[in-house]
Amino acid sequence: MNHLSAEDVARIADGESQDDAHLRECAICASAVLGEMRLKRAVREAMPRYEVPASLRRRTGGAPILHWMPLAAAAAAAIVVVLAVFYSRGNSANELVDMHATLLASPNAVDVLSTDKHTVKPWFEGRVPFAVPVPELQPPFRLVGGRVVYWHQQPGAYLLIAKGAHRISLFIFRDELRAVKTRDVTSEVWRANGLTFVAIADVPQQDLDALRRSF
Amino acid sequence: MTFEELAVPLLSPLYTYARWLTSDAHEAEDLVQETFLKGLRGFGSFTQGTNFRAWMYRILRNTFLTSRSGLKAQTSIDDDPERFEKLPVESTPESLLFARYDVDRLRGAIAELPLPFREVLLLVDIEEMAYRDVAETLSIPVGTVTSRVMRARKKLREAMR
Repeated sequence: MNHLSAEDVARIADGESQDDAHLRECAICASAVLGEMRLKRAVREAMPRYEVPASLRRRTGGAPILHWMPLAAAAAAAIVVVLAVFYSRGNSANELVDMHATLLASPNAVDVLSTDKHTVKPWFEGRVPFAVPVPELQPPFRLVGGRVVYWHQQPGAYLLIAKGAHRISLFIFRDELRAVKTRDVTSEVWRANGLTFVAIADVPQQDLDALRRSF
Repeated sequence: MTFEELAVPLLSPLYTYARWLTSDAHEAEDLVQETFLKGLRGFGSFTQGTNFRAWMYRILRNTFLTSRSGLKAQTSIDDDPERFEKLPVESTPESLLFARYDVDRLRGAIAELPLPFREVLLLVDIEEMAYRDVAETLSIPVGTVTSRVMRARKKLREAMR
């Protein structure tokens, strides 16, 4: 039996190749891919991310960082008045709004930063257990990026979408949710193709309705 | 989008990348600051919608390579794909090899890697960049990225034996 080359093994472990038919038949190559994945994980654990010193944040311009703060403050204020939002899972809405505020306050709101759906959509492959719909957004909406989020022990996709200076958080999960009522903070919940979409933002409701039509 | 909107989310990963390139906190700070300044100055020529992340990483890397420590860190490696393309998989059970690895030793082995190998590991394993983005960042063909990733890991395995 011909085995995979070391490059093939690296490409499969790095998600660059989906051609894994041979692995089902060959224990040696399957073991090599497993080993490659373990090495990747070991490298990640051995090479920590460094915290950005406050001095560097100032040197790269306090203003750009502070630029995010009004958004975070607005989102935090929204939490205070959001309690009229109920979903079928009790206070789950609060958790998602918390997550929305936390992510907007973070300098790393997204792990994949791209306005290109052809970059963002494949990035989710292998990271969440479903194909993440990432449509070609039309102005005024613009894709900023995405990341994986966990909610009630299930992985979901998070898309950060910009509308002018406003940021819209779009959470996508498999589990079903139901919005009963919303007030003050804008949210939109819908189901499509077996997935639940939850959009949260400080934009008018009609904007989220328009966004919904894009998906 | 403005430069700030695009660049600020990259501050943390760029700083981590700079730390691993320079191995020095102060030098990394200077490097990131210079990268931001260069990025801001050159933003007019950046095409919106293209890969901003790769663009910023490339600025940081080029800035590093022209610095004193960057010049010292540059190593010439053989990237001839003909020589490496068909290396067979190693039959050593990797699951045993990395089941109980020593973090400090692995970190030392990574630090000892020649720069071209260390940086592909950083970008692929830590930043989880796709090969094509790494290729764009390092201005090398995708095939060379694949070859370097494979060889970098091979060197790590050898160092950990």
